[in-house]
Amino acid sequence: MATRDPARFWNPYLAGVALGLVLLASFVVMGNGLGASGASLRFGVAVFEAVAPRVVEASPALRRADAGGHPLDFWLVFEIAGLMLGGFVAAYTSGRLRLEVLKGPTCRTAARLGLALLGGIVMGAAARATRGCTSGQALSGGALLSAGSWAFMLSVFGGGYALAWLVRRQWR
Amino acid sequence: MTLPIWSLSGGQHELGLLVGVAIGFGFGFVLERAGFGRAQKLSAQFDGYDMTVFKVMFTAVVTAMLGTIVLGGLGVLDYRALVEHAASETFLWPMILGGLALGAGFVVSGYCPGTSYVAAASGKVDGMVTVLGVVAGQLAYAGLEHRGWLARFHASGAHGRLFLYDLLHLPARAGAPMVGLAVTAMALGCFIGAEKLESLLAGRAPAPASPGGRAGRLVFGGMTAFAAVALAAAALPIDSGVRPVAPGRLGAEALARRVLERPWATRVIDVRPAADCAARRVPGAECVALDQLAALGLADESGARDLVLVGEGDLDAVPPAASAYPGHVLALEGGWKAWESYALTPPAPLAPGAAPSELEQYQLRVGLASALAGMKAAPLPPAASAAAPGPRKGGGGGGCSG
Repeated sequence: MATRDPARFWNPYLAGVALGLVLLASFVVMGNGLGASGASLRFGVAVFEAVAPRVVEASPALRRADAGGHPLDFWLVFEIAGLMLGGFVAAYTSGRLRLEVLKGPTCRTAARLGLALLGGIVMGAAARATRGCTSGQALSGGALLSAGSWAFMLSVFGGGYALAWLVRRQWR
Repeated sequence: MTLPIWSLSGGQHELGLLVGVAIGFGFGFVLERAGFGRAQKLSAQFDGYDMTVFKVMFTAVVTAMLGTIVLGGLGVLDYRALVEHAASETFLWPMILGGLALGAGFVVSGYCPGTSYVAAASGKVDGMVTVLGVVAGQLAYAGLEHRGWLARFHASGAHGRLFLYDLLHLPARAGAPMVGLAVTAMALGCFIGAEKLESLLAGRAPAPASPGGRAGRLVFGGMTAFAAVALAAAALPIDSGVRPVAPGRLGAEALARRVLERPWATRVIDVRPAADCAARRVPGAECVALDQLAALGLADESGARDLVLVGEGDLDAVPPAASAYPGHVLALEGGWKAWESYALTPPAPLAPGAAPSELEQYQLRVGLASALAGMKAAPLPPAASAAAPGPRKGGGGGGCSG
C-alpha cells in the first residue's frame, strides 16, 4: 500500500471477508444490518421539510420518515456519513480520488450523466418497493437468511444481466 | 446474552449514532478498496468477464451469516432477537419485480445505491448524479405508495418475517446452521465456477479479472471450518430453555395497528389472571393465564401467525410453553398497563386545523376506543374448552410445573 496504484484493488475474497466482518460488527453491536437507500429517503424528506412541508404531510410514508424528531436523526444517515468518509479516505490513499466522470472513451459525458440519473431514479423507486437495496436486502437480509432477501438478490442479478447488453456502449 | 447492545438504539441513542459513523467508515473503506467506487468495475460483472461483485458480495454474506450463527449458537448473541429486529418482512412480488428493476437501474447507472455514495465521495460526478436520482426515486415512490394500485402492489405477496429455514419447516436454532451449511457449500461451488469462467474468458477480457489465488483458497478453507463450527455450536445444549429468552418487543401502537389492520397475522394471548382478562383485554385476545399456557399445545401450531403475549407489566422472559411456538413470539412493551394508557384513555379532542399526521393518530385511537366499547360479553375462557381433552391438560401441566 506504500505505492498508490489506482488500478489495484483488494483480493475479492479478502475484501468480501472484510465486508462481512463490518456487517457482522453492525449486527452484533447495533442489532441492525447495513443500509443505504433508507438514508436517501431521509435526505429527501429533510430537503422537502425545509422547502415544501405540505408535500411531506400529504404522504403517510414520508410522514413516518419524519416522525420521532428530525428526519436526519436516524442511524442509517450517520452510517452513510461514515461511509462517505471511509470511501473518501480509501480513495485518497489509493490514488483514486479525482473529480471526473467515469465513462467509456467514446461515450459522451451528457449521455453518461443522463444514464446515471435515470438508473438512480429507477433504483430509488425499486429499493422502496423491495424494502431495501443491495446493502439492506441482499447483503444484510441475505446474511440473516431472509427468504425475501434471497428472492431479491436473484432478481437483481437477473435484471442486471437482462439489460447489460443494451447499455454496454457507455463503457466502450 | 449481552449482544446486540439494544441500548444503542434506545437510551444511548447518541452513542449509537457515533457507532454508526464508525461502522459506516469501515463499510465505505472496504467498498472503495474492493473497487466498488468505480462504475466500470461494478458493471463489468454484468458483462461476464469480471466476477468481482459476485465474489465480494457472496463472501460477505457467508462471512456475516456464519458469524451470527456461531455467536448465536455459543450463546453470546441473541440470534432470534437479531433476526426479528434486523430482517425486513417478506413481500414476495414487490421484492421480485423491484429486484429486477433495481438490477436494471444498476447496469444503467453503473452503481447501486450504497456504492453511488462511495463513488460520490471519491469525486465521481456520475456517482453524485446517481445519488440524486436515488433520492428522487425514493421520494416519488414513498410519496405515492399509499395510493390505488401501487398500494396493492406494495403489500402483495406478504409473508411476514420469513426465513429460508421456515420454508423447510425447521426451527431457527437447528435450521439456521443447516441452511447456513448448504449456503456455504453453494457459495464454494459458485466461487470455483467463477474462477473457471474468468480464466476461460481472460483471453478476450479488456482488463485483468480478479483471481482468488492463495488468499482465496485460504478463505474457502476458513468458510468450511466455520460452517462446521456453526453446526457443532447448534448441538451444544446451551440454549435448551435453561436460560430465559428475552422476547421481542412490540409497542402498544404497533399492536393496535396489527389488531385493526392485519388481525389474521397475529394471535394475541393475554396471560393475566382470567378474571382481569375477562373484564378488559386487547381486541381479539385469548385469555389464557400463565399456568395454563401449556394446555394450548403451542409447540404443535404451524407458527404462521406471530404470537403476542400480554402480561400485567413487561414480561421479562418468554414462558417455556410459549418459547416452543415455531413462529415468532413477541411481548407487548409495558404490558396491559401500557395498553390501558394508550388505547383505553380517550384521546384529547383535536383543535381545528390539525395536521394530517395528528388526524391519523386520532382516528386510530378513536377506532380502538369504539372497538373496545363495542365488545359486550367476554368470550369463554379457553381453559373451559381446553379442559375437554382432560388427560392432555393434566400431562401438560405436570410437565410444565417441574
